[in-house]
Amino acid sequence: MSAVHEDDVLLGLIRGSLDHCVKCTICETHCPYSNATSLFPGPKYVGPQAERFRTGEEVTPDASVDYCSSCGICTKVCPQGVHIAEINTRAKAKLAEAEGVPLRNQLLGRPDKLGALGTPVAPLANWTLANRPLRALAQKILGIHRDAALPTFAGTTFQRWAKRHTAPPEATKEVVFFHGCGTNYYEPDLGEKTVAILEHNGFKVTVPKQGCCGLPLQSNGIFPAGRAYSKRLAKHLAPHAREGKAIVGVATSCTLMVKREAREILGLDEDPDVRVVSEHTFDICEFLLDLHDRGELRTDFQPVEEVVAYHAPCQQQGHNIGKPALDLFALVPGLETVEMHSHCCGIGGTYGLKEEKRQISLDVGADLFAQVREADPTIVACDSETCRWHIEKETGVTNLHPVEILHRAYGL
Amino acid sequence: MKWDVIVAGAGTAGLTAAVRAAQSGKKVLVLAKGAGATHLAPLTIDVLGYAPERVESPLASLGGFLADNPDHPYARTGEAAIGEALAWFSDVMAETYPYTGGLERNILLPSAIGAWRPSALVPVTMAEGDLRRDEPMVIVGLRQLKDFHPALLADNLQRAGVPARAVELDIEFDRVDVSTVGLARALDRPEVRSLLAAQLAVRLRSGERVGFPAALGLRHAHTVWSELQDRLGRPVFEIPTVPPSVPGLRVDRILTDALRAAGGRVILGSEIVGAQPDAGGVTVRAKAAARDIEHRADWLVLATGGFAEGSIMLDADWRARETVLDLPLAHVPAAGEARFVPDYFDVQPMARVGVAVDAGLRPVGPDGSRVHERVLVAGASIGGAVPWKEHSGEGISVTTGYHAAGQIAPKASPSVGTRAAA
Amino acid sequence: MTTLQTEVLVVGGGGTGAGIAWDAALRGYDVILVDRADLAEGTSGRFHGLLHSGGRYVVKDPIAARECVEENAIVRSIASAAIEDTGGLFVTTPDDDPAYGDQFLAGCAEAGLPTEEIDVAQALRREPRLNPGITRAFTVADASVDVWQLVWALANGAATRGARILPYHRCVELHREGDAVTGARLHDERTGETVEVQAAFTINAGGAWAHEIAEMAGIEGVSVVPGKGIMIAMNHRLVNTVVNRCTIPADGDIIVPIRTVSVIGTTDIRSEHPDDLPVTQEEVDAMLADGERLVPGFRNQRAMRVWAGVRPLFDDKKAGAGGSTRDVSRGTALLDHGERDGVGGFITITGGKLTTYRLMAEEAVDAMVEQLGHDRPCTTKTTALPGSEDGAYMSPGTRLRARDRHLKTEQLICECELIERSTLEAGMRARGSQNLDDIRRSLRLGMGPCQGGFCIPRATGILHSLDRLTAAEANTSMRSFLEERWKGVYPILYGDQLRQARLDDWIFQGVLDVEHLPGGPDRDVAATTAREAS
Repeated sequence: MSAVHEDDVLLGLIRGSLDHCVKCTICETHCPYSNATSLFPGPKYVGPQAERFRTGEEVTPDASVDYCSSCGICTKVCPQGVHIAEINTRAKAKLAEAEGVPLRNQLLGRPDKLGALGTPVAPLANWTLANRPLRALAQKILGIHRDAALPTFAGTTFQRWAKRHTAPPEATKEVVFFHGCGTNYYEPDLGEKTVAILEHNGFKVTVPKQGCCGLPLQSNGIFPAGRAYSKRLAKHLAPHAREGKAIVGVATSCTLMVKREAREILGLDEDPDVRVVSEHTFDICEFLLDLHDRGELRTDFQPVEEVVAYHAPCQQQGHNIGKPALDLFALVPGLETVEMHSHCCGIGGTYGLKEEKRQISLDVGADLFAQVREADPTIVACDSETCRWHIEKETGVTNLHPVEILHRAYGL
Repeated sequence: MKWDVIVAGAGTAGLTAAVRAAQSGKKVLVLAKGAGATHLAPLTIDVLGYAPERVESPLASLGGFLADNPDHPYARTGEAAIGEALAWFSDVMAETYPYTGGLERNILLPSAIGAWRPSALVPVTMAEGDLRRDEPMVIVGLRQLKDFHPALLADNLQRAGVPARAVELDIEFDRVDVSTVGLARALDRPEVRSLLAAQLAVRLRSGERVGFPAALGLRHAHTVWSELQDRLGRPVFEIPTVPPSVPGLRVDRILTDALRAAGGRVILGSEIVGAQPDAGGVTVRAKAAARDIEHRADWLVLATGGFAEGSIMLDADWRARETVLDLPLAHVPAAGEARFVPDYFDVQPMARVGVAVDAGLRPVGPDGSRVHERVLVAGASIGGAVPWKEHSGEGISVTTGYHAAGQIAPKASPSVGTRAAA
Repeated sequence: MTTLQTEVLVVGGGGTGAGIAWDAALRGYDVILVDRADLAEGTSGRFHGLLHSGGRYVVKDPIAARECVEENAIVRSIASAAIEDTGGLFVTTPDDDPAYGDQFLAGCAEAGLPTEEIDVAQALRREPRLNPGITRAFTVADASVDVWQLVWALANGAATRGARILPYHRCVELHREGDAVTGARLHDERTGETVEVQAAFTINAGGAWAHEIAEMAGIEGVSVVPGKGIMIAMNHRLVNTVVNRCTIPADGDIIVPIRTVSVIGTTDIRSEHPDDLPVTQEEVDAMLADGERLVPGFRNQRAMRVWAGVRPLFDDKKAGAGGSTRDVSRGTALLDHGERDGVGGFITITGGKLTTYRLMAEEAVDAMVEQLGHDRPCTTKTTALPGSEDGAYMSPGTRLRARDRHLKTEQLICECELIERSTLEAGMRARGSQNLDDIRRSLRLGMGPCQGGFCIPRATGILHSLDRLTAAEANTSMRSFLEERWKGVYPILYGDQLRQARLDDWIFQGVLDVEHLPGGPDRDVAATTAREAS
């Protein structure tokens, strides 16, 4: 019995949504990956069309499904409600299950383990990752492309900082911070700034014990481990959710995983912890804009004289909340914002790190990079860390999370 | 969040209503389940093509047609609105992707298999294909483009007395299966255009006009078309084919840009799952990850597309239902009567089913009284038309979208202009 | 006018007729197989695709059950490429008497039919869409069969041994010389020509039309009752196992997964004539409701196509007039007209079911061999059909796996059913056909969810460019495809399929304007306008 399937009503609905497909081609028109490479036949093909040929137990007979990045743009643009990306991701997982998961994907699927390994030896780890011959070796042995953007270890973790941090006594409300692996191991200062912003707005920020959301495992088709990660994270966060507290995150891929994908793709919809956490999770910009709508956001922003190009990552789009970062930027005097119109930067989480997919990832991102060059910004703002690292490497422009700009505007 | 206008649906009707309302100063949010049918349609603005005989002049024929079809959407908006809407649409497109034509005389353009399609307003990139002119045509296809068959097209034109021949090119792509969108993106690049022109030039004869599948550029269509015309030294025209529609994507982009420039927003993947109209406006619940999001607006424009988009559904009990607000439907066959008849080309009993509206495009009940004051209906959801047979689809979409916006902002000027201040 | 000579003329190209052609050809006979339309367009092409385990007969018709058990195993071994080894389940739904299950088990034991009662929980794990309220479940060796694969494998196999396969050759007259049938006059439906066939022996495999053929030989009393049944193909495989209701055979009591769809069947209404098979709304509604018993939520699934087939039920004059035909024998009827009617060189075989086609063919050819006084034993039991030599079953994923290897080299024409351009072109050339419907049947072109919306304009253009069709023929071909397809769609046009139909309307009528192609009523208008302009 395949580990990809669980007896779950929602999974049946996801697969059954293929019936809504009228072959209209809209998803293919928008798919950044099938437009960039003929190795990927496209979302319509790989999702609702091929699924009719995949029987319950049979191994996914089409290896080309591996070239789907699970960016989710297809599901977003489908006017008929086909859960295309979800069908694709599960097909990828069945393929991975049958063919085995290479070591590289096992490693890339566990950023928490990598983070824990690298943090104590950060200078050495960072040196290793920047060393060209060693990167070349890594490409040869593991298949991680030598030129792909990898982050630098901070040498300390955000969790450590959070444990030592005390909330200001005048805080009247409480919010929970789901920081994610990126912030924890590579960008703890982003976490600090986020806490500062929330405290500035009267919140006490609780940073509970947490863990990896399991998205990279899911993307690499390692469902059983992905479920374990997902459930463990939910277990840590659920008590807070049950108290009615909001859970905010700064990594839109991770928050989307918690909000939706753990339920629709991993099939954990009926897990009560996963469910309650999902219902209480917010992207940080979503959360701040909601505060603003209620008149509860402090708008004591100082001018920030920058030109910001804003790129909404594909998985930010998957939240279906619009682009709250743009509305927040509009509150900051002096800020000139240029909206980028691109579906995907091409990194696809761990996709663009892989040797065989590197060129595709560059081709996918080419349009965005061209738009960035044309806008000639001083900053690129983007809500997902893997996107930021990739865009910064390929364009040379400083990449920041939107809240870092707000932090500066607040003068914190 | 609070808006002036929420438009449900990002097709031609929805975007038209949204842009016009935004440009008249309203704060507009477009929520759509997914991308609109602009992606699928040729985006020639067909006002009235068949009634059921071919219509030479919509202006001359509309009166009689509406007398026979008093429940038609055009009868609700009034004929004047059609002309105004077309003028407005032309204006919006003028800078980037100009159109030509009008209500006086339908332009006859070849369809992708060589039938004659009557349209009122067409992109300039297509206009040289007017079948009333007698210059011979050469139809150019691409081996890699399976959705365009120049030989069949040319043969059918020949049979109707139009001198036409076919040429097939072979340009190298990274794949054997190119869509019109893939071709259009490639032709946005000057080096590909050069290649195409060079390959083609030696195969052309003098006095010919050159027909291409509608894929002459995506972002820079007008430039690509006029450059090709110059290079080939002959009139060039595009011929729209099956989805994906490149002309449709162009219009979608222009309208969406215009909406953003006027301060409006679009959120795709945001199906409206509940709407509560009241005296002062509408509260709308839209689907999002993990939970629904509530929006409040003074007005709701329902431009959700009808049966083709699933916003009006026929269930297994043969009951038809409008799925957002459960609005009363018109032209539904009585219980026990056939929904469909065996002859495919007959007008099917279900064909005209759609939301019943009044002259203000408000939904009405069976007695004609308004069901909601703050809800307007636009586009293919409206009952009373058989657009694919009449060839009136985009005409209805643009006219009703335009008219709906006019109901919201009566002082809105019919012409566009500057980008609205933020 | 052409005259052909042969040893055996087989009239009727369904499963039985093709099976006879193969059998006789294997025995060294020269064979001509004819059908008034494409092969397998009669009963064979219009059933639900079940290769019976026999379970449906164990209680009421043990002889038929035993036959099925044997033939099921044989067909699996000789025609594996046309078979999908789905396995089968008999389930007791809340509407069924659980005690029937015991009769079922007893009947299986008696018929030598391997079965096993399994836990309901196990059945539900195997088939998650099954009604969770089922009370008993039994496994059997049902399978699904792609009948076009099968019939064409039989015909092609016969052809490699010299047989001539002539679809679209309608038999209009049988020649009698004294007390023997000596051949037939055929009408080539495509060219209008007449073809004379001189045959030493004629086998009437006309199925539901057998009586018409027999009458041409002056033989009365061959009465075949047309038992109409409708079937609905659902857009995807709701189950991966054949699922039967464990009860006395009833309407809508079986769902068969076949290739990419699942088919529910069937009804049983006596029809006046085998060509008169209306699909009524009541039947459709009833069938969808029947589906709910086996798969809750069935009615809200996407129904893709509906059609009616006709069972040839040989009437021993025992059945009453009108009403249900279930009680009329499903058995095979082999009529040796030499013995029965004093007309030599002619036998009729009718009745039966596809599962026992091989046995029927064997019996028919044996009877012929005996009449001819030859000694040529049947070898079909152990001879694999072309394409099935390795004994591998077909699997739904085959086309998908194969397609993956051609992503960079082949255009995909029919996306729903994964038909590549070279396959299409080869099929068009091999069939020599102008008829898109023929291609549809053999390749499944346009038989997926979009019902031809995207692939038919492509296929028409390709057919035309291969010089297979003039533009006029291409136009007609496209329009008649649309008209034919509509007939199978409009009775089940609700929900998702209506959305699809609307999109297809927009494409064909709105974008392509098929209705106003030259050759239609618009032709004169177009020509007039063109003259005006010049």
